[in-house]
Amino acid sequence: MMSKGVLLFCFDTEYTKYHKILERCVTLIKKNLKVEITVVTDFETFNKIKPLGFINYKFIEPELGNTKLGKTWKNVDRHLAYELSPYDTTLVIDIDYFCFTDNLLELFDTEYDFLVPDTAYDLTGRNTFDLRRWSMIPMVWATVLLFKKNDKVKKIFDTVKYIKEHYSYFTKMYRIYSTNLRNDYLFAMALQQINGFVGYEKMPFALPTLPSDCEVIEITNEGIAWKYNDQISCVENQDVHVLNKEIFDV
Amino acid sequence: MDIRELKKQSDLSYDIAVAKRNALEKAHSRQVLAYNGNLFRADPQTICLVRTLKETNGTFFILDTNNNPVEITDADDFLKKLIERNQEALNTYHQMYETFTRKGE
Repeated sequence: MMSKGVLLFCFDTEYTKYHKILERCVTLIKKNLKVEITVVTDFETFNKIKPLGFINYKFIEPELGNTKLGKTWKNVDRHLAYELSPYDTTLVIDIDYFCFTDNLLELFDTEYDFLVPDTAYDLTGRNTFDLRRWSMIPMVWATVLLFKKNDKVKKIFDTVKYIKEHYSYFTKMYRIYSTNLRNDYLFAMALQQINGFVGYEKMPFALPTLPSDCEVIEITNEGIAWKYNDQISCVENQDVHVLNKEIFDV
Repeated sequence: MDIRELKKQSDLSYDIAVAKRNALEKAHSRQVLAYNGNLFRADPQTICLVRTLKETNGTFFILDTNNNPVEITDADDFLKKLIERNQEALNTYHQMYETFTRKGE
């Protein structure tokens, strides 16, 4: 029988307690997706994670050097997902993507080798994410990835590794204005290259996303409430990708 | 005319519009359905197409959300699942819509 599961990456930094975000993320995955979970982390972060029940852990030393708004950002190990995943079919989810539904389960019941979403939906109604149109190629959101283990997908990840090594060259070539390394850009470039420059298969929905200028004021097992511009809004039973990382104390 | 009252009404209308838009997006996400290893959208277009094709063909081909051709061999089962998912999503949307209507009154 083919195995399936969720792969998460979590590394604390001196600025952000990502392990707190992981704890919420895992709770929701267990409640709504009910599939096996593997967390890729380091010992320093692992020691702070509260007991979360049955979960697999894989330990690596995260690659350093990337920053976001001047702060350390340990996000450059996503290209290792293929090697690190113990599953035949893997769903890689950013830990700031909260699964308040079982919608992602549908993806496991498919035969696609590799799926990624290419649009995000701004929950504040401002269409914030329609601005990423400078580049010569379509962008993707590597927040959620589905892949199967086979030769074709191995080549996708090999291409991701190659582009990561020559990131500066490729971002210039594709007119991607990026001061740091983003997995969204890495995967967008790799998929463009390995798929013969003619497009690839995508998830047929937009990622519901809360922009980083929204202050998250409450997270429950059903939904999330946020404040923007002195107005409080909420969604329930809808997946949410939270860009403001100051959510660990909510 | 109380300008504060008008602004309050305007803010409320905006809140309702955004919440309605989010609820509709939620319904769209929920309409994604895996069948025979492919993804489909349980929307009116797919439902009508399957229903129409099934009238004259035992098996037929339709395109999935990534434009891959998929053979449908059990149209009744597929149509049943499409309708179920479509109505589940719209029922939830309707419940949300009712709360917006009450808020706006």
